[in-house]
Amino acid sequence: MSDPPVLAADGVHVAYGSREALTDLNLEITRGTVTALVGPNGSGKSTLLRALGRLLKTTRGTVLLDGEAIARLPTREVARRLAMLPQGPSAPGGLTVVELVEQGRYPHAGPLRMLRRQDHDAITEAMSLTGMTAFANRAIDSLSGGERQRAWIALTLAQSAPVLVLDEPTTFLDIRYQLEVLELVQSLNRRQGLTVAMAVHDLQHAARYADRIVALCDGRIVADGPPPAVLTTKLLETVFGVHASILIDPVTGAPVAIPHAIVGTQGQRDLPGSS
Amino acid sequence: MNGAGSRSAPSATAETGPWAGDRFRLAFLAAVALLAGLFVAAVALGSLTLSPGDVLDVLTGRSDNALHDIVVMDLRLPRALVAMVAGAMLGLSGALLQSITRNSLAAPELTGVSAGVILLSVLWLAYGPAGVRTGRIVPLVAVLGGVAAGLVAYGISRRGHSDPLRLLLAGVLVSAVLQSATSMVVLVNQGATGGVLIWTIGSLNGRVWSDWALLWPWAGVTVLLALLSAGRANLLQLGDDVAAGLGVRVERSRIVLLIVAVLLTAGALAVVGAIAFIGLIAPHIARQLAGDDARRLFPLTALVGASLLLGADVAARVVTEPIELPTGVATSILGALFFLYLLRGQRR
Repeated sequence: MSDPPVLAADGVHVAYGSREALTDLNLEITRGTVTALVGPNGSGKSTLLRALGRLLKTTRGTVLLDGEAIARLPTREVARRLAMLPQGPSAPGGLTVVELVEQGRYPHAGPLRMLRRQDHDAITEAMSLTGMTAFANRAIDSLSGGERQRAWIALTLAQSAPVLVLDEPTTFLDIRYQLEVLELVQSLNRRQGLTVAMAVHDLQHAARYADRIVALCDGRIVADGPPPAVLTTKLLETVFGVHASILIDPVTGAPVAIPHAIVGTQGQRDLPGSS
Repeated sequence: MNGAGSRSAPSATAETGPWAGDRFRLAFLAAVALLAGLFVAAVALGSLTLSPGDVLDVLTGRSDNALHDIVVMDLRLPRALVAMVAGAMLGLSGALLQSITRNSLAAPELTGVSAGVILLSVLWLAYGPAGVRTGRIVPLVAVLGGVAAGLVAYGISRRGHSDPLRLLLAGVLVSAVLQSATSMVVLVNQGATGGVLIWTIGSLNGRVWSDWALLWPWAGVTVLLALLSAGRANLLQLGDDVAAGLGVRVERSRIVLLIVAVLLTAGALAVVGAIAFIGLIAPHIARQLAGDDARRLFPLTALVGASLLLGADVAARVVTEPIELPTGVATSILGALFFLYLLRGQRR
């Protein structure tokens, strides 16, 4: 193989105390693709992304960035190649958008830590790609949820890294802002050629915006492939614990899951007060 | 030029920004002017009131009034300088702590440093070797107490990695233990520690050039370090995960900034006693004017802190004349007013 995968987990094992969060997991992310991680709460999506973004030390196994062990690379060097947006980031409310986005240049900063011409260019481009130019001097806490998330994505773009790792970028956003963020991610992939790996809560969104879906359950990969191959009634039963119908969205052509009952119940056993 | 163009892009929309550059420059100049005004007031006002012209004459060596010379040069000038610099240090310490804990109620008095300074100075005043028990050695001993207490609190809070909230909880714990130890020493040695009570409140009374000589080298280094750490503070303000993702060594950066905050607090309190609230209030006021970017917030906080402590000291000397209040009483009143303001703001 001449071209190693841009990001890979090789036998990655992560344990929190005695609880195993990831079990001998292998995953290769192909350059220039959008990969969505799906799975129920506690399935290990976040843990896997944090391990891929070297925010978490693996108990065993290696994460490889461009074929090199990420733990051995200087952390600022990693930040120049991989930008990571954790779940639910928060900044001081009085910070302005441009002040926030500027922080993305830290991995490129010279010894004097002054912003140079290429830094200003990268900041300007990141703001323009995310449509935040007009908001440059607005305080973070005066923005809507969607604008705020776009500002954070602008910060990761200012890093000028070819790989973007996003942990549930649409959490706590209204449906319109969810789509806004996902459309942005898609256009960054298509126009800028960024490689994206993201955890997505909503299966419809994963099916519509990702080239590939990786389903996790109990710290293992249980399904992996293009959305129509992964999003099946069987997966919804075994992984998510729901009976569902899979339809095809007439507008986008993406598969859509319609859940209608919980597996293993009559639909009332879990109701409070019934026992 | 492309670079210049992109730099000017944000300022083109400056009027929409709540703390765009112009507003900050205005606030900065206003703070400098306020501090200068307070400085003149501090030197002019008191039991002997001088006119600004008298003050200028003394400062430029053109005064022929020996009393004016003594009052200004030996008493009020060193006291005002100590107040300004200690206030700036306490404000900066609060701003640093608020950034690294991401908690706007963090303050130097919650780190244990202040209690450590007081305990060690009280212990020294009560049990120190005779002959060097009082005088300019006390601040040097006190600084050690503050630094030690700050490090103990940090050590207690560490659990694999340091957690900002645990740091404050540990600081409160260390403060409580050290304060009760201080109370015991004071109770057991009521005679020997007569001047101690004023230490525990904080006062600038009788601060002279020897105090200034102790303070300024320490202040020069620590204030410079604090201003230089603004960029690092900005990154830590974004949370551990974001900072680590950007390639910051979070743990190491936080320790460095914490040490700077401890050194600022210990150095200031060792000279002025347990002055409270400056480190809490100054960053809040500065934040209203400069926003949350530490590169603006820190310098403005230093100016606001200097003004607050100098203003509090002038008020403590002048308002209840001829009785002089301890400066710490004035800053505590300031603190009470500040919390009232915060509460009203929240009820809104």
